[in-house]
Amino acid sequence: MSLADLAVGETVFTASYPVERANLAAYAEASGDRNPIHLDEAAAKAAGLPDVIAHGMYTMGLVSRAILEWVADAGIDARLTDFTARFAKPVVVPAGGTAVEVEGKVRKAADGAVELAITATSAGERVLAPARATLTAS
Amino acid sequence: MLDASYVGRSLPTTEPVAVTAASVTRFAEALGLPDTGAIPPTYLISLTLPAADRLIDDPDFGLDWGRVLHREQRFAYHRELRAGDVLTVTVTIESIKTVAGNDLLSLRTAVDSQDGLAAEVWTTLFVAAATDDPAGDPQ
Repeated sequence: MSLADLAVGETVFTASYPVERANLAAYAEASGDRNPIHLDEAAAKAAGLPDVIAHGMYTMGLVSRAILEWVADAGIDARLTDFTARFAKPVVVPAGGTAVEVEGKVRKAADGAVELAITATSAGERVLAPARATLTAS
Repeated sequence: MLDASYVGRSLPTTEPVAVTAASVTRFAEALGLPDTGAIPPTYLISLTLPAADRLIDDPDFGLDWGRVLHREQRFAYHRELRAGDVLTVTVTIESIKTVAGNDLLSLRTAVDSQDGLAAEVWTTLFVAAATDDPAGDPQ
């Protein structure tokens, strides 16, 4: 498949990823962001949060995973050239874990590039709004 | 409140740092990405946010990390980066908007490799007013 085959309005992928506190601990080590609100329930609650929350950048990272998995599975020869997100709501991660669902839909397609509108939700709430990614033919 | 006279200023460019294969692997694994040697799309945040730490160390600027929430993030990638590339980072304070004592601080960070400008990274931080409870949704 190539980018030229994609039509505006088409949903091109949906993905769901479980999120456990252990994932946040691994991300904290990998990214260097060790803010305790992402790791420790007491610290999160002391900060006025309902529970531990995921790093916004962890959620954005899961979106990048959904995009890259789709590009690889579809055999599209393109690279990510622009990626943007607004962190609208936190992803709350209780002791038993949660999930993040990601959907990508074609928003624009022109001149060898495709812009995706990304929807990311957790526990029924949109956590990134808006989020967009541009892929450009290699 | 932040010192708005900092808008337009750039911090000194960081010393060149080589992207290690181990750091790329660790970042990719933490997100469940295949480790291809190419840096994951959001990897640059691990360089650009620490580069902004010097703003926290500047008492005149007034930035307290304990009141900061990550609000928006954008990456523009100009060329593929891989483990082994040598990068420098230049943080510029692009804008400060103050509403009811809270600040929205937008930083533009240029990431240069040995081949020139490799990526631009924009980070918008919500900085809650010092005397109020933090508003908004932390990330």
